[in-house]
Amino acid sequence: MKEEATPSLSSRSDKQKELTSDLLTSIEERFRRDLLRSRRRRRIRRLLLNVAGVILFLIFWEIAPRVVPGVNLQMFPPPSGVVGTLWDLVASGELAGHAWSSLKRAIFGFVLGSIAGVLVGLLTGRLALLRDLSDPVLHSLRSIPSIAFVPLAIVWFGLGETPKVALITWGTFFPVWVNTFIGVRDVPSIYVRSAASLGASPTGIMLQVVLPAALPFIIAGLRQATAVAFVILVAAELVGASSGLGYLISFSHLVFRVDMMFVGLMALGALGFLADALFAAALDKIFPWYGAEAR
Amino acid sequence: MTPNRGLRPDDGVVEVESVSKLYPSTEGESTWALLDVSLSIRDGEFICAIGPSGCGKTTLLNLIAGFIEPTRGELRFDKAPITRPAPERGVVFQEYALFPWLTALRNVEFGLKMRGMAKVERSERAREALQLVGLEDAAGRYPFELSGGMRQRVAVARALVNHPRILLMDEPFAAVDALTRASLQTELLRIWEEIGITIFFITHNIEEAVYLGDRIVVMSPNPGQIQKIVNVEIARPRNRSDLEFGQLYATVNGIFHQQGGVVQ
Repeated sequence: MKEEATPSLSSRSDKQKELTSDLLTSIEERFRRDLLRSRRRRRIRRLLLNVAGVILFLIFWEIAPRVVPGVNLQMFPPPSGVVGTLWDLVASGELAGHAWSSLKRAIFGFVLGSIAGVLVGLLTGRLALLRDLSDPVLHSLRSIPSIAFVPLAIVWFGLGETPKVALITWGTFFPVWVNTFIGVRDVPSIYVRSAASLGASPTGIMLQVVLPAALPFIIAGLRQATAVAFVILVAAELVGASSGLGYLISFSHLVFRVDMMFVGLMALGALGFLADALFAAALDKIFPWYGAEAR
Repeated sequence: MTPNRGLRPDDGVVEVESVSKLYPSTEGESTWALLDVSLSIRDGEFICAIGPSGCGKTTLLNLIAGFIEPTRGELRFDKAPITRPAPERGVVFQEYALFPWLTALRNVEFGLKMRGMAKVERSERAREALQLVGLEDAAGRYPFELSGGMRQRVAVARALVNHPRILLMDEPFAAVDALTRASLQTELLRIWEEIGITIFFITHNIEEAVYLGDRIVVMSPNPGQIQKIVNVEIARPRNRSDLEFGQLYATVNGIFHQQGGVVQ
């Protein structure tokens, strides 16, 4: 160690002389370029692996029904048996029509239920009186599985759009309410105190401090609600509808077309996946600080 | 000390008069966080409160800020009773009190916006406040992108932009490293002298109190009371290695040992 000290010291001072600003800039540029390249490489790698995973799954699905003894290919069609049906339904516009009417119901109900959930969550989270008043009722209603209301909704609202939207509104309300409530209840008091000492009114504190501070919870609730919306949507469409992906599946059942059922299921999977991906992307764009505290 | 800072005993900007605060503790018991505490904070002075945990120094700050109400006694600001928080009494907390969803500039603008100031004007004033704390370049950054020391500067700017008469600071530099703390202390003194504000500063660090304060309020726990008020008559800028600095440090330290409290 000691012997090395002298030469390394002198060589360092030599190098220091060479470190002109030009050299530094070029080192920085190279560093940045390498960083970007390695990030891009990692992104591409991830994408390739994602695609490979899907292909592997399809291969497994193609082979499994053929090698497992006793499987009827009519009952469990492999991808090759579904792709033709998929193409027919896509080309005729039938699939898009069903997907669109399902999506419309889901979005409508989701928006209504979420607005109600956030409002009630804000109020019950901030006002102890309302919280104590509503707690037993809301929690009892919440513990009834929303699907159990499907027959009632049909009796009340018939077979049109109303029962579906009403059911989804009902079902999405609860996760959004509970999460908003927790987020609002647990807003650090230091934020509220800061705002009060900066001159904010109670309404100002509610909208400008409590609401944004609870956003991570509210967003978690909204995300849960998208999943709930799909479950209820399909349940409602299975029972009584003349369009929608749930209807497509139940109709396929009547005409015994398992391949068509598979197309409906795949469409639901794709829609759910897209909804969640959109959610994540929007989150990053709209709230750059979200989750950053933990980083 | 500048001569124009009023030192007459009865023109306090904040008057704390025989204030007691009873807090519930575990299992239905209760403790006096403060018992019969009186204090007059003079206009323009830098006053430090120091004491072991449980001595009620934060309770005292919360009372002056208007976050809580006293069980007994009265608090007045500018001769009017303190009933709730107000921008004239700015508060800087220990840490993490900046709104994480707003940029530094928006954080500083917050109070002005809440009071309905027009956008252009408030942005201009917020920039001035950031400039005062030396952070005009960080205006667009979010709190998570700032170091602990920078966050506290923004917090100071956020309070100062409202032109408060008094700044209440609750161990604001406790969570930053020693070097950063020293420079924050120097800067706080510069700002204090520049704008002639009153500062009530809580710390658990004797050196910090001796370096900053015109007076040091030494408090003791169980029940929370003021044990002694020490005048610091050392000219600024103060030097931590001076003899009189060391002597005063020893004096304050001695008061602590009298009460048997353990202070770092």
